[in-house]
Amino acid sequence: MAPLLQVESSTKRFGGLLANREVSLAIEAGEIVGLIGPNGAGKTTLFNCITGYMHPDEGRIVFDGADVTRTRPERICRLGVARTWQVVRAFGRMTALENVVCGALQRTNRIAEARARAGALLEFTELRGRGDMPAATLTLADKKRLEIARALATRPKLLLLDEAMSGLTPIETAAAVKLVRRIHEELQVTICVVEHVMEVVMPLSHRVIVLDYGVKIADGAPQAVVRDSQVIRAYLGDRRAAR
Amino acid sequence: MTELAQAVVNGLQMGFLYALVAVGLTIIWGLMEMINFAHGEFLMLGMFGAWWLSAGFHLDPLLAIVPIALAMYLFGMLVYQQLMRRVQGGDPFTQIFATIGLLFLLQNAVVAGFTSDYRFVNDTFLQKLGGVRLTLLGVTFAVPLLLAAGLALLLFLALYLLIERTEFGLALQATSEDRDAARLVGIRPQRMFAVAWGVGAALVAIAGAILVNFFSVYPQVGLQFTVLAYAIVALGGFGSILGTLLAALLVGVIQSVTVVYLPPAFKDAFVFASYLLIGLFRPQGLFGRF
Amino acid sequence: MARLALVLGTLAAILYPIPLQIQGTTYYQTVGFLVLITAMLGVGWNVIGGWAGQFDFGPQVFFGVGAYTAALLYVKLGVEAWLGLLAGVAAAAVICAVLTYPLTRLRGHYFAISTVAIWMIAQPIGATWEYIGAAQGLFIPMKAHAGIVGSAVALQFSGPTKALGYYYSALVLFALTVALMAWVERSKLGFYFRAIRDDQEAAESIGIDSRLYKVLARSITAGVFAAGGVLYAFWALSVFPEQVLELNWSTLPIMATVVGGIGRLWGPLLGAVILIPISQIMSTTLGTGPLAGRGIDLIVYGLIIVVIAAFRPTGLLSLPWARWFGRRRPAAA
Repeated sequence: MAPLLQVESSTKRFGGLLANREVSLAIEAGEIVGLIGPNGAGKTTLFNCITGYMHPDEGRIVFDGADVTRTRPERICRLGVARTWQVVRAFGRMTALENVVCGALQRTNRIAEARARAGALLEFTELRGRGDMPAATLTLADKKRLEIARALATRPKLLLLDEAMSGLTPIETAAAVKLVRRIHEELQVTICVVEHVMEVVMPLSHRVIVLDYGVKIADGAPQAVVRDSQVIRAYLGDRRAAR
Repeated sequence: MTELAQAVVNGLQMGFLYALVAVGLTIIWGLMEMINFAHGEFLMLGMFGAWWLSAGFHLDPLLAIVPIALAMYLFGMLVYQQLMRRVQGGDPFTQIFATIGLLFLLQNAVVAGFTSDYRFVNDTFLQKLGGVRLTLLGVTFAVPLLLAAGLALLLFLALYLLIERTEFGLALQATSEDRDAARLVGIRPQRMFAVAWGVGAALVAIAGAILVNFFSVYPQVGLQFTVLAYAIVALGGFGSILGTLLAALLVGVIQSVTVVYLPPAFKDAFVFASYLLIGLFRPQGLFGRF
Repeated sequence: MARLALVLGTLAAILYPIPLQIQGTTYYQTVGFLVLITAMLGVGWNVIGGWAGQFDFGPQVFFGVGAYTAALLYVKLGVEAWLGLLAGVAAAAVICAVLTYPLTRLRGHYFAISTVAIWMIAQPIGATWEYIGAAQGLFIPMKAHAGIVGSAVALQFSGPTKALGYYYSALVLFALTVALMAWVERSKLGFYFRAIRDDQEAAESIGIDSRLYKVLARSITAGVFAAGGVLYAFWALSVFPEQVLELNWSTLPIMATVVGGIGRLWGPLLGAVILIPISQIMSTTLGTGPLAGRGIDLIVYGLIIVVIAAFRPTGLLSLPWARWFGRRRPAAA
């Protein structure tokens, strides 16, 4: 069976800077994939290309059998890709519930149905009781959960989480990891997480892909990637040396 | 062919004056990101001030530039401190609301003082040179307009140096980039905003004192210039001083070339049609920084 | 609480002109007409400005499109006003959609100037196009109508009941507009508009076609402005460029919306009830007598606006609505 998402030697330049160079990867349905790399490695650029906010200069992106290389974000969402943002982007002046209703309206035109689904997702993401609060007044951890709930409301097949755990306290991070596992198990959603905190990604992911300076340098089981000499040099090496 | 060349030359000369009209808005709107619907009214005050000093005290509008610039600098600071500072933190629409009120107030204060009649200045220095023309390759340069354009260009360059080369200019730019960071390095943002309003008002009033040599003055004269100034600032790519100059020259040329082929009523329409056309291909303005 | 206010407000709006009419005054009916037209335009502008959060300074173009469409149909083909109104609304919505779609590539201030650009281009077209009467415009001839019903059907009132007739016509149109916009606000459209206002990229990430919904929002606004334009044209018995393409047709509704609460369904009505009578009273008291024509009324009006702005730092958006109307949160928030 063809993978759910296939990126074929995608290249993205900004002026002279090569943000992604011939990156190829595949994500199978049912996986949790970790996408890691130091800051500036091109992870978010890759996310932006997959979700249609940018288009690769060269290469091809195929999702669920459809070529989405030049497709706009809203169409990619309709095909079944949802994402969250590195810097949270909740609809600040709308309530938490209304945020999720907007997502649910992707699959229904009936407000009552969308509200019911939104309520259920707030429950699922443990935001019950926050539904009537304007999103701008939520804590960072709650905003991140809200973004996940809003993304899930669009009934994605693939969920891309961009640093869903950065800036959280250790307790909040543990809860977020638990939430990601529950999304995978209970909702059967394929997940790709971008993190630069390795300690979070390793136990969570079935497979880890490492980017460095826009190039994919490793792709495999977490244990194997940790032992990869290139990865250690490019990424872990710096960190270990610093400690 | 000569007709077209003449139109381009006339347009360029007007363009320098437009640049001076618009650059005050570049600072207030482009750099400081505040909306001023009364920009044209500042211009009108400058024109009226020059007319009043000329008719009542026989002060030439070119000399009147000095007192008018000073008065309008103070007035711009006053407007910021008493009105705009208060609406600054809120919804941008509140700034629109406040400056529309200001527009009503200023326009009608002048109506109350001087009625809505059209006024002209007489026997000014530039007008006395009216008959003097230079001809170059079949294109005629009217010396008064040429001098005015030259003066506008000089002022413009001075402003450019002020913003780009002095410590004050850097502080202004820093405030527009990031107010909190500016505060950390010891810049007082409120002070910078006030000065920006003062400089913006003074510049557009100077433009008024120059324009009064060529145009009649009446209390409602401002709106047409406000609209043009917004188009110029947007075309120039917000906050780019040099972009403003180039956009203003372009606008001047578009206007005067349009008039060669179409009724004068269309001259502003063509400026805006060009804006739309350019906008569709360069959504960030002609000379946008990003 | 809110329902009671609605019932009382409706009753007051219906009943207040009656004793005045019996006394033989028509002035306050005309003021009421202007309040309602401004409020209605404000409710329409709220869709693009308040909900979709886009700076639109050019809706007066569609006020003109509506007025001209209905007037042309009436003068050239004898089509009745209310049918002309429907045609005007449809024409404005379609023209707006066609013009706006390419403009949605532009964002923020660039989009704002592009809406002004369309207005700047529409003005000389209106002033030079012979078919629509160029600068002279079109005159809408009065026809004889059988009684009140005939007048109401034709949207033509004259004599002592002119002001009253147009007041009630405006009330009907205002009520229709509010009802429609209340529906829009609760529908998918309302949610999507506000999502785009709060964060366009995030809206796109959940499948919202931001360009399409901006066009829809602006076309709804255009439709409301067109309806207002038709009503105004039949009241003024004429349509000409300087009158229907006047900048005030956008600034007044925008100011009413800002005063009353941007993004709130009833905000524009509150704002219009505050702003329009002030300007009317100013012009009848200070605008007459020895100082007539000296703009004293507009000075005071400008001062009032400046003072309102200066002493409500975040605009009047911060009016303590919740305290006034109990704990119930207005649906628009």
